[in-house]
Amino acid sequence: MAVAAVSPKSILPLACGFDFIAARCSFSRLAAVLCSRHVAVDRIDPSTITRLFVSESESNPSFVTRNQFLIYRLFSLSGLVPVGAFLVVHLLTNASVLAGPGAFQSRVDLIHSLGPLLVPIEWVFIFLPMLFHATVGFAIIAGGLPNVGSYPYAGNVRYTLQRATGMIVFAFIIWHLIQLHWMGAALGGGQFDPHHASSSAAVALQPAIVGILYAVGIVSAVFHLSNGLWTLGITWGLWTSPAAMRRASWVSIVVGVLLGGVGLGALVGMRNVNVEDAKVIEDRMEGVKRMLEGQPAAGSPAAGVRAAPQPISNPSPAASTTGVSTTGI
Amino acid sequence: MIQIAEKSDAASAGAKESDRIVRVRVLRQDAPGQESYWERHAVPYEPTMNVISILQRIAAMAQSQDGRHVAPVAWDCNCLEEVCGSCTMLVNGRTRMACTALVDKLLEENPEEIELKPMSKFPVVRDLVVDRQRVFRALERVKAWVPVDGSYDHGSGPRISPDEQEEAYPLSTCMSCGCCLEACPQYTKSEVVQRDDESAEDFDKRRKAAFDRGFIGAHAISQAMLFNSHPTGKMIADERLKAITSQGGIQMCGNAQNCVAVCPKHIPLTRSIARAGRAATVWAIKKLFDR
Ligand code: SF4
Ligand code: SF4
Ligand code: FES
Repeated sequence: MAVAAVSPKSILPLACGFDFIAARCSFSRLAAVLCSRHVAVDRIDPSTITRLFVSESESNPSFVTRNQFLIYRLFSLSGLVPVGAFLVVHLLTNASVLAGPGAFQSRVDLIHSLGPLLVPIEWVFIFLPMLFHATVGFAIIAGGLPNVGSYPYAGNVRYTLQRATGMIVFAFIIWHLIQLHWMGAALGGGQFDPHHASSSAAVALQPAIVGILYAVGIVSAVFHLSNGLWTLGITWGLWTSPAAMRRASWVSIVVGVLLGGVGLGALVGMRNVNVEDAKVIEDRMEGVKRMLEGQPAAGSPAAGVRAAPQPISNPSPAASTTGVSTTGI
Repeated sequence: MIQIAEKSDAASAGAKESDRIVRVRVLRQDAPGQESYWERHAVPYEPTMNVISILQRIAAMAQSQDGRHVAPVAWDCNCLEEVCGSCTMLVNGRTRMACTALVDKLLEENPEEIELKPMSKFPVVRDLVVDRQRVFRALERVKAWVPVDGSYDHGSGPRISPDEQEEAYPLSTCMSCGCCLEACPQYTKSEVVQRDDESAEDFDKRRKAAFDRGFIGAHAISQAMLFNSHPTGKMIADERLKAITSQGGIQMCGNAQNCVAVCPKHIPLTRSIARAGRAATVWAIKKLFDR
């Protein structure tokens, strides 16, 4: 058997805990499950893409090892689309709070107008790709041996940070989901109320420690995406010469700084929301929505729709989720 | 030991210079699989020494700093001019060729001592000598050659333009030293030990299979690109692309770019890797639609 020696020098705690081979073994167990399905597919059509990347090793390689190239390329792609694209949309949407609670609420309403489709869309385009990206990412981290202590080059520092931020973002997202997403309600979280978008978020983000952790999470995610953009370009062969790589790294820095500004702007904006004022606006918008849908404005508290609805500061529900020209960033 | 770092006038400081001692710390290992241990040596300073000449002095003295009689430290070297690639070791913690590691420069970095360790990604044979079979196995995997063997004369080969030559030449200077692999955070050690009841052939097969599971390495990717750009070598370009996209192929690269930073021949490895990435992208898409 090959002995994968994990040096005690590995600076990432995870790399110490994991053994390369151990990671491979758990992988091949997963592969066994996938494999049975794969065989069935194979019988239907022998020219499935999976047959493209036949490993040369004699000893019956698993689905995952046979498709390592494809899986790593999908991993690379998934970081950009849909996961990276989602991050951009998510941060831009949240930053709309800088244009007032009404602006943010109208974007949240737009997203929630998907109704019963929201959950499957969330899973197919956000959670499952993220889980895939994270699973392969952890396998990569487990297989690597960071050595930035001996070789403190800029590229190596970025390599190490890419892995560190990946783990930070993973932990952050889990906490973020428990804290705000309705799925976290069972665990005492789920504080985000889509009908009171800004006010409920503002309350949840108020504690100083929460604000700091969110800043860390946002900066890590933005670094991971913008640096990932640069490595993706090398992986797929978009930029090949050292000069092109240097230019590309400037592009990724600019993207990172802009997106970081948007993300931190969203955080600051969210924390600065005046909860009471926001509630008034949100309730009014909720009332309008119910009226338009022909439902009674039930449960609508004090500031509901008593008379004719007053014009709302930023009612444009037609604004695209990315359209945040008014964020003021 | 501070005076070692000072640039003294050789003529006036002749007497002083002969008193200078260069302290060396070597990580030794008596045989494969055995525990390694540190040993200190003190070598009289001479001008224009390199790490190989230090090792030669240590071998001649066969004595550690504390006066114990010890077996000479084993090391590998051949050309002594940074073209054969056999003397790779960790000098002051970094992978480089021992023959071009000049003692004066090393003492400028750290006047206290010079630290010598065997490469960490390859099995130690003894002391500073490692087994770099995997480096060559990777070249075999990517068919790093131009296939011209045959029983009849193929005539003269196609012309290569000066521009192409200029692109290819740097890549052709690779000496399989393994520095790029040693510094690569994605390249991890693979040590396979022969079992008592195992024949040489079975062991070789098992070891190759183990090598092939791991990362192929920057040098092999670069050589694949070199031979894929050669007009005759191109004929098996697809086989090379298949090799670098199989298990342990280019997808294992994490873009740390240490390889290019440490390559003693200054080979544009990351350029080769990106070109290989591009070729693999095109190839995979073509394979997908050409069936
Ligand atoms: S690419 Fe450079 S570092 Fe790697 S084996 Fe060749 S000469 Fe050595
Ligand atoms: S660029 Fe790739 S091959 Fe080179 S050191 Fe980094 S991970 Fe290794
Ligand atoms: S002895 Fe040949 S490279 Fe050092």
